[in-house]
Amino acid sequence: MSEHNSALTRRNLLKGAGVAAGAVALGGCLSGDQSNSQQGALSTAFGNCWMCSHNCGQKAYVRDGSVVNLTGVDGHPRGSAGEGTEGTLCPKGLAQLDKTHDPKRIKEPHIRENGTLKKVSWEKAFQYTAERLVSFDENNGAETFLDATSWAETDIFRTVWRDLYGSPERISRGIHVCAGPTFVTGGMMGVGSNNRVPDYQNSEYIIAWGRNILNSFAGQFEAKGVLEAIENNGATLVTIDPQHTITAQKSDEWMPIKPRTDGALALSMANVIIEEGLYDEAFVENHTHGFDAYREAAMDMPPEKAAEITGLDAEQIRTVARGFAEAAPQAGISVWTGTAQAGNGWKATQNITALNGLVGNIDKPGGLRLWKYPSTASFGEVCEQDYTNRAEFKDPALKKYDEYSDYPARHIEGIAHNLVPEMVENEHINGIVCHHDDPLKDGNAESWIEAIEAMDLVISIDAYWNGVSRRADIVLPEATQLEKDTLGTGNWNAYPNHKWVTGSKAAVEPRWNTKPDFDILKGIANEMVEKTDNDDWTVFQQWDSHEAYIDDQLSTLDLTLEDIDSGEKNYALVEEYDYQQYGENFTFRFDLDQIDSFATAAEEAGMDTAPEWIPPGTYGDSTSEEYPLEFTDIRSVFFSHGSNQPHERLQDQFAKRNQLSEEDYRGNYLYLNPEDADARDIETGDMVTIESETGSGELMAIVTERARPGLVTSQYGFGQTSAITTGEDTREQSADGMNTMMLHNEQMDPITGQVDRHIAVDVAPAGGD
Amino acid sequence: MADRQDHWVFYFDPNRCIGCHACSISCKQFHGRDSDADDWRTVTHHQNANGQHPSASEYDPDTASPIENVPISMSCMHCHDAPCEEVCPTEAIEKRDSDGIVTIDQDKCIGCKYCGWACPFGAPTYGDNGLMSKCNMCLDQGPGSGAGAESKNEQDDPIQPNCVSDCVGGAIKAGPEKEMIKEASQAAADRFKSNNERVIVEPFQGNESNLNLVEHAASENAGD
Repeated sequence: MSEHNSALTRRNLLKGAGVAAGAVALGGCLSGDQSNSQQGALSTAFGNCWMCSHNCGQKAYVRDGSVVNLTGVDGHPRGSAGEGTEGTLCPKGLAQLDKTHDPKRIKEPHIRENGTLKKVSWEKAFQYTAERLVSFDENNGAETFLDATSWAETDIFRTVWRDLYGSPERISRGIHVCAGPTFVTGGMMGVGSNNRVPDYQNSEYIIAWGRNILNSFAGQFEAKGVLEAIENNGATLVTIDPQHTITAQKSDEWMPIKPRTDGALALSMANVIIEEGLYDEAFVENHTHGFDAYREAAMDMPPEKAAEITGLDAEQIRTVARGFAEAAPQAGISVWTGTAQAGNGWKATQNITALNGLVGNIDKPGGLRLWKYPSTASFGEVCEQDYTNRAEFKDPALKKYDEYSDYPARHIEGIAHNLVPEMVENEHINGIVCHHDDPLKDGNAESWIEAIEAMDLVISIDAYWNGVSRRADIVLPEATQLEKDTLGTGNWNAYPNHKWVTGSKAAVEPRWNTKPDFDILKGIANEMVEKTDNDDWTVFQQWDSHEAYIDDQLSTLDLTLEDIDSGEKNYALVEEYDYQQYGENFTFRFDLDQIDSFATAAEEAGMDTAPEWIPPGTYGDSTSEEYPLEFTDIRSVFFSHGSNQPHERLQDQFAKRNQLSEEDYRGNYLYLNPEDADARDIETGDMVTIESETGSGELMAIVTERARPGLVTSQYGFGQTSAITTGEDTREQSADGMNTMMLHNEQMDPITGQVDRHIAVDVAPAGGD
Repeated sequence: MADRQDHWVFYFDPNRCIGCHACSISCKQFHGRDSDADDWRTVTHHQNANGQHPSASEYDPDTASPIENVPISMSCMHCHDAPCEEVCPTEAIEKRDSDGIVTIDQDKCIGCKYCGWACPFGAPTYGDNGLMSKCNMCLDQGPGSGAGAESKNEQDDPIQPNCVSDCVGGAIKAGPEKEMIKEASQAAADRFKSNNERVIVEPFQGNESNLNLVEHAASENAGD
């Protein structure tokens, strides 16, 4: 599990690999710039795009067993603006074509022998995996094995690792590293995580709060829905973001807010709305709890006070507060990671979500929609075999051991990303199975790398050689989305009155010696039957294929995968539902004093249960003389987490987007304001070093007025531990750009343990261009 | 000869473009072109150099968009008066009567690059073999393909150019001029008529200096 640097540069490798990928992509029809006559017949198939896990429909054109083109599916609930509109694919979704045929993928199963990863057959890989799982359980206890497989396209991962193997340790992308405060406040306040995505299509007033919806969307229907609302409803768009973005640009109001002061702005808007009598008195009276405490906090935040805190203009705060309240209930807020990935993110999100209850837009057209999932069958409902849930009475270590008694998050969550290294040191976690996830990019990176190296067993199920798979004991190469049968669903989408499912059969065979995740897990389970003599592991044998399992999941809707994946589309609208179905007893909680777990955590964290203003630095970093700049990381339309960075088309167009494609560099960029750049003698295109108290890294600077003075930002998912380089030998140090989470330590939201990505740093020229 | 109204043209609405480059990637994938080859469809980003990140007291959303960065997606415009065709010494370039698409027959191309000099928009690109290739409105797949292909207007269900099929913002459209003009605002249609009917571009709803940027991108001086 050690690494070494190579003299080879990444660009040399990519140049060679890119030519091969280009030829493969057209199935040998074309060579270089020459066009030959077309070969085999062109057929079409479908996909459910999983590049960012939000299931936009893909139409795949296949010739001679290769995907030769990809477009969207018209009318798709996630990939279009709804009925009669074009379905498309964003850059990430288009990259699935290259991913399918990417020669840099992991092609064979590997196991580590004498310190080196060696290619083995699937039979050997499954046998070895089962042996190691059995010995791990004997030596460490299955309950110390961390399940990091929430990125999966099948729900049987949970059955395998939690129910059958018996581990209560599970870390997910959603709550733990994405937007814990957004998910959990919404749930506690009574609206679930629907505070993220309003009913765009019917909205007249949309606030993108800390979101760049037009570039970083959860399904293209978000961007399309906003554009449709502007065009069809004349909707007002407001963007609250310290940086200027494409969404800010298309907004009627851009509020260039000081980072981490969103909680004060939200209270101040409530102040205006309450003072001017613009709130929904009937809704507040009949359907809310804790209004008095909320009003008290709001009254303490008049716009002039908020203006001082946020750096905004008091009149602009009034304008937006009035506009939002007057357009309500056809007014919605979209909030996700931007306000959640901060130490005071809990209160920011609580205060923002409270505005929905105040104006009574809950489950009304154009407001906060209470989206619903379709009623597909769960694993338990379709499994004909009884089995023992081996994790049922086990508590995760965070809740169980005194070592973690200082962390309020243990009352709310079962794990916190930043604490995993400490848990490994304490031997409360001793192994991990990681599937397409890249925890080394998600926070506390240096400690996480050491933790992975210290674990007794690391199983990686992945398509690429990244920081985890390179360090794993067992590497199981997974077929990617177009190579397997998939069923997708979700709640929010372009049809506000419909639940939906999307399905796709494999467009092409698994490339090289890879397997779909369902088959990998079934292979492990079948070996576990042999190694443990426990027949519970035979639960998957009732299904001959993933398609058979999907058909069982769909049986409650009287559908099959074949039904969905046929004709001109690969989705079905099912189960119509109306607005305002929440009933008389529905309660929206401004104050969370009734939620015991939260009340306990809040008390330990020194927080009130009602909305309140908590300044930045109360939890997490403050800037200082030594580290005078605030850093936070951002996203772009080209990349999702850490898994898209290997794609040369995305790298090249990302460089073009940043007007630096002439440079050889293909990493992430550090955006800084001219004021900060001039003081440090930095110009666009310079390589710079960024340093925090914890770590440092090198990346290319872009000096721009779109960056706020005092704030520097960069895309995450690059640099060290990246899935950029090829092969089992480790060249990850040569990957362009930096892993921004090398700057990070244990900063977190104390309530959910969500990683706080705001870090005090300084920046200096690194020398050279 | 087909009526000029039947000639295919592109339509672009900068107000709906989100600058995501899906069009550029989609184009290259459809035509099997390497990532580092020159783009047939480009997205460029235009900014007002005078802007500054506003302090709160200075920011006036009604009048100031001081740091806008406007994305503009462009490709070969399949000009009615295609200058590339006029200068081609081997008649490899054809402005097709049937559907107005300008194609290149690489069997006739000698790689002299006159077309590249003649085109005001930088549409022709040259591969490793030195031969010209450019947008063919996806008449067929691959550089140099489409010459001699059936007219889009004769096809039962002509496919949309891939950049149109994958435009996330719905900013790019393509079709016969008579249909595209129906999609356009009056202002866009008027400008189209007065600008040699190359490409329909909606007026940008930003501040005046950025409107000029968009106008410039759709003018003959785009490369200046």
